[in-house]
Amino acid sequence: MSRKPVKGEYIETDTGNKVARKAVLVGTQHIMLGGKTVIQADAMIRGDLARTSQPSSTSGAAPGAAPGSNTAVAIGRYCFLSKGCCLRPPGRIYKGSFTYLPLRLGDHVFVGEGTVVQAATVGSHVHIGQNVVIGEFAIIKDYVRVLDGAVVPPNMVIPSFSIVAGQPARVVGEVPEGGHEAFELRELYKTVGNNPQPLPV
Amino acid sequence: MASFTPYTYIQCPCHDSAVQGRTADDASPTVSHELDEDDDDHAFDPRAHRSTFSLYPLEYLLYCDVCHQIRCPRCVSEELVTIYCPNCLFEVGSSSLKTEGNRSTNPRAFFAQLQKLRYGEDQSKHVVSGDTSPTKPDSIPDTNKARFAALKSFYGSQTINANPSAGLSGLGDYGLSSPGALTRIMSIYSGNNMNGLKQKNKHAIMREADSTNEGFRLVDLDESSAISQLRRDGWDGTATSAQGKTQVEEGAQFADQLWPIPYLLRTKRSKRCPVCRHIISKPEPKVSNTRWRIRLAANNNAIPTISIKPLNLLPGSGSGSGLLNPLRPAQFLLTFKNPLFDDVKVTLATPATTPGRFASRVTVLCPEFSIDANPDNDMYLDDVLKDGEKERQRQRGDEGIHQAEAGKIWDRGRNWVSIVVEVVPASLRIEPPPALLRKEGDPEQDLSPLREDEDVLEIPMFVRLEWESEASHDQVGAATTRDKDAKEKRELAYWCAIGIGRISQE
Repeated sequence: MSRKPVKGEYIETDTGNKVARKAVLVGTQHIMLGGKTVIQADAMIRGDLARTSQPSSTSGAAPGAAPGSNTAVAIGRYCFLSKGCCLRPPGRIYKGSFTYLPLRLGDHVFVGEGTVVQAATVGSHVHIGQNVVIGEFAIIKDYVRVLDGAVVPPNMVIPSFSIVAGQPARVVGEVPEGGHEAFELRELYKTVGNNPQPLPV
Repeated sequence: MASFTPYTYIQCPCHDSAVQGRTADDASPTVSHELDEDDDDHAFDPRAHRSTFSLYPLEYLLYCDVCHQIRCPRCVSEELVTIYCPNCLFEVGSSSLKTEGNRSTNPRAFFAQLQKLRYGEDQSKHVVSGDTSPTKPDSIPDTNKARFAALKSFYGSQTINANPSAGLSGLGDYGLSSPGALTRIMSIYSGNNMNGLKQKNKHAIMREADSTNEGFRLVDLDESSAISQLRRDGWDGTATSAQGKTQVEEGAQFADQLWPIPYLLRTKRSKRCPVCRHIISKPEPKVSNTRWRIRLAANNNAIPTISIKPLNLLPGSGSGSGLLNPLRPAQFLLTFKNPLFDDVKVTLATPATTPGRFASRVTVLCPEFSIDANPDNDMYLDDVLKDGEKERQRQRGDEGIHQAEAGKIWDRGRNWVSIVVEVVPASLRIEPPPALLRKEGDPEQDLSPLREDEDVLEIPMFVRLEWESEASHDQVGAATTRDKDAKEKRELAYWCAIGIGRISQE
């Protein structure tokens, strides 16, 4: 009885994803993880909000089609979803009926605690602070830093190398030349999991 | 109290054009005089007003590899590479920039602005027209610009009518470019001033503008409608001052007077060293490309990063509040991480006490050490070589370190070294010194209350780096092959300000 291996806090997959047992993943068949992604406890991904099958196309085939054909949330490599954040695909009226559209995260995307992301696209090397709201269909390009507490309005486009803050969010600065490496999340990835390593100096 | 994050700011050498040191009101005149005389001896004061403008976080600094010097955003010269709209991310040609101004002309961007505006003010009464082109209601045809143009043409015609010989063609060029102006000026300076004055007196009296098509407008002093609207819509109905400023010339008072404004364009810029004119930072010109052709950031090319964390040797030395206890020694670990592919010798120097009204004592236990080269950032290599690293430590004989002892480093890794700094924070109590200790002629003590951030313990530190690197092969010559192994000695020295913590105000 005692031989049973002790369950770690995280489930580590073959592709290196570390998903906390307490994370809330809804509609997992619609969620794509690129690998080496950390999902902490109480983080929520709403995969159930997938695109409703268009009546025009073969209606019956869509849900049973190849897995990943109807992705609601696609996440790249080395993403870090902190405690209590929520990824929620945006939705709108499209061709007369309401539908959700996919939410895509690039590589090395950090999502802070208690943050809600409803963006259409988040590029690579993006840092989103804690308690941030990213409005529906916002587009965040690469190398963007969203400071804590910012509220990014729906449909906003944030160009690369921007620092964004405020309610509603505005571009308040530019990422300096020496600040690009700070977006790397490889080291942070190693610090969580079932045998976390200390952060190197 | 707000939490405090330790920081390191580095001083760019471009401050040198001005004399550093304490400003006159902060220091006794004798001291400042000494400072002026011996320039080498003076210590950098991070609290001097001027220092604010030369201290930068490391990430903002660039490094010119020709001059071997730090360059900051203030001293580099920038050149436009690409101009683009931040919303639609399309490049804007410089020719259209000249005709259209630095705002996005793309209707898509305009539409997005409109949406954003509506998001901000729900009660906005504007109707989006089908073609999404900016249309203005008839109520504001007379913008400031149009009125100014009308006034200008009116007064221009007035002056010409009044004095055709003078030929004051327009107000815009002050009439100096016309040939008539030359004779006028000549007549003024040629001595017969009386003549010139007489001519002026002869002029017919000029009429003032008095109709709308001459640019004249009566001020509407009846503000009752504005007041009633204010009553109706309340605070939410008014435009913020920031909105009013960015709005059309008239300035908007209420939210429903706001108009979507085209996006201000953004640029990608390359940066040049101000001294040698070499490009030290250059992004790819394409808007969507986030790579850089040249990016000589100081933290990758020269300066070791300094991270600060408290070293809790004695329990109770760090109280729960995260504040430093006055007059109680506290120890901190400074970790220097070397970005270079060569070993670096580091020499540190700090003043014994921090400058300012509250002088804390500072002791760097190990002011001289060397950091090993930065290996290629290969993760696997890192893991494999971990054992070899220990071997090297043993060879060097600094195993069993971790002791806060003078002259010894605390810990070292592949390309980093930690050292201990001991501080004795000053007491923040503001009281006159005891009368016994006061001497005749002592300067008057500054007894004003604690100023902003005066409780932050900030250490000015002079860092000198010395390393040997591959000789730069700037000059293409025959010598390059022969001297391939030749090493070149490099040196870099700079001041930095290290913010360690806040001192408790008990």
